[in-house]
Amino acid sequence: MANTLAGLALASHDSRWTKASHLYLAREEGKRAPLELHRLKPFFPNGLQRGSLLEVNGSQSSGRTSTSLYILAESISKGETCACIDLNNAFHPSSLAQAGVALNQLCWVRCNGNTEHAMRAADLLLHAGGFGVVLLDLCGARPQTLNRIPLSYWFRFQRAIEHTPTILLICAEKPQARSCARYSLAIKNRKFHWKGEAPFAILTALESTAQNNKLTSIRPESLIIQTGEA
Amino acid sequence: MYASLSANHAPPALLLEVASRFSPEVELAASGQTVTFSIAPLRQLIGSPHQIASEICRAGHECKLQASLAIAGNPDSAILLSRHFIGVTMVTPGEERLKLASLPLAELFAYDTVKLAPNLLEILLRWGIKTCEDLAALPEKGLSERLGAAGIYLRRLACGTVSRPLRLKAEQTSYTIEKELEDSLELLEPLLFLFSRALGELCHRLRAQSQAARELDLQLKLEEKDTAYTCRLEFPVPLSDPRTILKLLQLHLERHPPDAPVRGFRLHLEPVEPQRVQGGIFLPPTPAPDKLHVTLARIAGMVGAENVGTPVLLNTHRPDAFALTPLPSTARANQPAPEMLRLAMRLFRPALQAQVQLVQLAPKNLTAAGIRGHVLRHAGPWKTSGDWWTTTSWTREEWDIALDDGALYRIYQESATHEWFVHAVYD
Repeated sequence: MANTLAGLALASHDSRWTKASHLYLAREEGKRAPLELHRLKPFFPNGLQRGSLLEVNGSQSSGRTSTSLYILAESISKGETCACIDLNNAFHPSSLAQAGVALNQLCWVRCNGNTEHAMRAADLLLHAGGFGVVLLDLCGARPQTLNRIPLSYWFRFQRAIEHTPTILLICAEKPQARSCARYSLAIKNRKFHWKGEAPFAILTALESTAQNNKLTSIRPESLIIQTGEA
Repeated sequence: MYASLSANHAPPALLLEVASRFSPEVELAASGQTVTFSIAPLRQLIGSPHQIASEICRAGHECKLQASLAIAGNPDSAILLSRHFIGVTMVTPGEERLKLASLPLAELFAYDTVKLAPNLLEILLRWGIKTCEDLAALPEKGLSERLGAAGIYLRRLACGTVSRPLRLKAEQTSYTIEKELEDSLELLEPLLFLFSRALGELCHRLRAQSQAARELDLQLKLEEKDTAYTCRLEFPVPLSDPRTILKLLQLHLERHPPDAPVRGFRLHLEPVEPQRVQGGIFLPPTPAPDKLHVTLARIAGMVGAENVGTPVLLNTHRPDAFALTPLPSTARANQPAPEMLRLAMRLFRPALQAQVQLVQLAPKNLTAAGIRGHVLRHAGPWKTSGDWWTTTSWTREEWDIALDDGALYRIYQESATHEWFVHAVYD
């Protein structure tokens, strides 16, 4: 009997604490308007909360880069300045412009494949503050190198951006920040859409399947990425 | 009350010496032949205007200065009277018009404080106006209608009613500090300590003049070299914080250290108007320009200055043509929101050399560094060429191929060498 009462008391105590933490989170979130992503609404129904860490993962040709550039473009469309840390000098400025990224509001850092430089550059930019979205692109890095990044780095980044309007976006093949990330979007390539037959075929779209792994209540949904060719 | 000393043949320095005995604020007019200063504060020190005039005369005599002295209620009247009347002329306030009445009209134009149209004197002389008295007698409204603001100003000058403060020449502030060291410095840290003090002093001078620095010039005298080490830093926004400037200088010197120990330096800041930006409550925050510049300089020190900046697309069809420029610090404008997700490319820089097996003139198998697969579907070829008139000309055939590893690549064949390359992967 005593055990049951104690259990009930503990349960009520826990529920109270849970509610309080929810209230705290709600208060923190209410301070800044989230970044609305209209085309990614199924995966982020409430937008991206400011001061949070987002991961976009997927293999080559899954659409991870296109999705990351779309998030950059949405942030820049609000008048914000964004930064892009490019580990392998792989970004294509024309693709950035076609994705809707205003290039004059983007700071591009090319790291020549040096992961340490990329992490340090991200640290400096996050601590400088004032950016809308900081994109850390780790696609193409060797898994052995990425596995050597201490988890404390991601905690440091998370601490640097909390209570700030900055969103840190990590684009990689596999999840890196794990529990530090508030959102984790996993993208899988499903098929390519072609128009016409060879030799007059044109690539029109890429269809992928995406799921927000941090919101398990949301089922995987299809993501269409168009090339702009009719 | 104002006193004016006028001498045609005395050097301006002598006039200034006499005037500075009575007031620290002296206006130099008529190409240095006239000095004017206020004598109102001297009323309590010396006494009446007559006593002040006699003191000025005594000081002029001591300095062996032969000049005319005039005391009047405003600077312009004092200057006109001292230039026209020899000896000492004193006018009680309100009687300037009577004293100026006999002055020829040309005297008003010989006085170089205000620029007047040269044909104005000719017009007035044609009207038969020869003296200040004639001009003062004209109605102000009529003059305004015919000659505009210049007519009104001339009439008030002739009446002796122009009231204005003295036009003082501001002292030039130097934004340069030069220092010779007793012992040569080999390490950067003690040198930065000296720079810190010098920059603190220079920035203090800048702020005192409501100025900021856009450029920094540094010259280091080296021990073993005949040539001096020089560097010039240009800031994207005007800065007046010594710590920010010092940090930028430190980052530059760490990247480009001098070749020999330093035995002296010369620091110069180029002053400009500080940037004033009106922030908005509803505007999104942007990085603080000075902090951002230091951050980018640190990153540039790490990855190289050529790898940091804002991409700018070049006006050419050449693939991957862009330039990196410094991040602009101007106000941001809202862009239209993207309407859809657009498929982006990730480039291989440099492009990966590949071996492609063709079947019926279309790629069938691809092998490159880290890429190997069978072509499931392809699109192309698209022939592109350009810049044939320069050394950067290109001619190629581009293909989009989907491999059985699930990836979609952009490959191309150089028309001149028939070599295949993997240019990019769609992602």
